[in-house]
Amino acid sequence: MRFLALTSTTWLAASLASNASEAAGHHGLPMNAPVVFDLGWFKVTNSMIAMWLVAAVVILIAQLSVRKISLVPTGLQNLVEFVVESLQDFLAGILGEDLAKRTFWFFGSVFLFILTMNWMGLLPGVGTIGWHTTDSHGHEGWLPLIRGANADLNMTLGLACIFFVLWLAWSIKSNGVGGFLSHIFLYQGEGKGPMKLLLLVIFFLVGFLEVISIMIRPVSLTFRLFGNVYAGESLLEMMVNMGGKFGWLTALPFYFLELMVGAIQALVFMLLTAVFTALMCKHDEEHAH
Amino acid sequence: MEITTILASAGVLEGLKETGATIKEQFGLQGQLFFSQSIGFLIFAGVLYKFAFGPIQGMLEQRKGRIAEGEANLIKIQKQLADSEKNTAEAIAKANEEAQRLVNEAKESAAILSERKAQEAIASAQQILAKAEAAAKAERDLIKSELKREFGRLVTATTAQVTGKVLNTEDQKRINDEALTKVEA
Repeated sequence: MRFLALTSTTWLAASLASNASEAAGHHGLPMNAPVVFDLGWFKVTNSMIAMWLVAAVVILIAQLSVRKISLVPTGLQNLVEFVVESLQDFLAGILGEDLAKRTFWFFGSVFLFILTMNWMGLLPGVGTIGWHTTDSHGHEGWLPLIRGANADLNMTLGLACIFFVLWLAWSIKSNGVGGFLSHIFLYQGEGKGPMKLLLLVIFFLVGFLEVISIMIRPVSLTFRLFGNVYAGESLLEMMVNMGGKFGWLTALPFYFLELMVGAIQALVFMLLTAVFTALMCKHDEEHAH
Repeated sequence: MEITTILASAGVLEGLKETGATIKEQFGLQGQLFFSQSIGFLIFAGVLYKFAFGPIQGMLEQRKGRIAEGEANLIKIQKQLADSEKNTAEAIAKANEEAQRLVNEAKESAAILSERKAQEAIASAQQILAKAEAAAKAERDLIKSELKREFGRLVTATTAQVTGKVLNTEDQKRINDEALTKVEA
C-alpha cells in the first residue's frame, strides 16, 4: 500500500514536471544558480529561495512537534523524536556518546537540511515554475523561481567550509593546539633506537600529506554533493526532454533513483564529516572516559 | 628562493589563478552568495537546535532518566520485596514456633488441670461416698436400735400376754437381752 502511494506520488510528480518543462520550453540546467532578485548589494538566487523554503518547512515541522512536548510522545512529536533519536544513536556509534551529543546540532541539521533539500528538488514546480527572460543580446532564456540549493556550489561550499571551521574548533578543543599538531605530525607508537628515529621522520613528512588531505576535504565534500545533485537534476531534465510527450514516463525510474541518491548523499555528507571529526576528537574522548 | 617565486616562475600560480577564475565563473561562485547561504544554514541549524533538537534531546534525556530511575526503583522494590518476604517468612516461622510452644504449654496445663480436677473429683467422690456410708450406717444403727426396741417391746408384750403376768423392768430387760442374743446369734 505504501509502495503504491509512493509510486503514484512519484508518477504524478514526474508527469507534472514533464508537462511544466515542456511548457516552459527550456533545455539544460545552468551550473550557476541564477539571480532572481538583485537589490544591488544583496543578490537573491533561486537556490537561496529554495533554502529558505526548506528551512521554513523543517523549522515549522520542528516547532509543531515540540509545541506540546510531553514525556509520552504522540503524533508528530513521536516522528520527530524517532528521527532525532535514530540519528543521535547512529552518530554515537561513530563519535561516541558525549561527542555525538555535543555536535549533534551540526550533524543533525546538515543531514536533515541536505535530505530535505534533495527531496524537495524532486517536487513538481522546482525548476519548472519561473518565467522567460531575454538578455541584452536578445537571447531568450528560462529563469526558474526555485532550484535545488545543493545544485548550487555556493551552498555546498558553504556547508563544507562551516564543517571545516567547526572541525578545526572541535579538534583544538579536544586536543589543544599542541595535541592537534602532534596528532598530525608526530609518531605516537612504541619503538626505540634508529627505528624510532626513522618512524619519527616518516611520520613528520606524512604529516604534510595529511595537511594536504585535510585541506582537500572541504573541496571533495563540496564537489561530491554538488556533482551528485546537479547530475541528478540534469538527468531528470534530460529524460523528461528525451521522452517528448511521454517525458513523465521516461523520467519515472530516475525519480526513484534520485529519491535514493538524495538520501544517500545526505547520509554520505553527514557520515564523512562525522568520521573526520571522530578521527581527530574521539581518541581524546575515549581517554577522558 | 621562496616557494612562491618558484611556483610563479613555473607558471603554476598563473595556472591556479586561471583555474580558480574559471571555476568561479562557471559555477557562479560569489562571496556574497557564499556567505548568504552559509549564514542561512547557520541560522537554520541554530533555530532547529533551539526549537527541535534542544527540547527533544532534553526530553530524551528526561525520559532516559525516568527509565533509569524506574529501573533503580524496581530493583529497590524487588530488594524490599525480597526482604519483606524474608521477614514475613521469619515472622511466620517465629509465630509458628511460639504457637507450638503455647500449644504445648496449653496441653501441659490442660493435662495438669485435668489431673488435678480428676483428683479433686475422686476426692470429692470419695468424700461423698464416705458421707453416704456414714449416713447409711447411722441410719442403719438408728433403725437397728428402733428395731431392737420394737422387738423388745413386742417380746415383752408377747411374754406378758403368754404368761399373764405383769413384768417388771428387770424382767423386761432380761427377756429382751435373751431374745436379742438369740436373734443376733
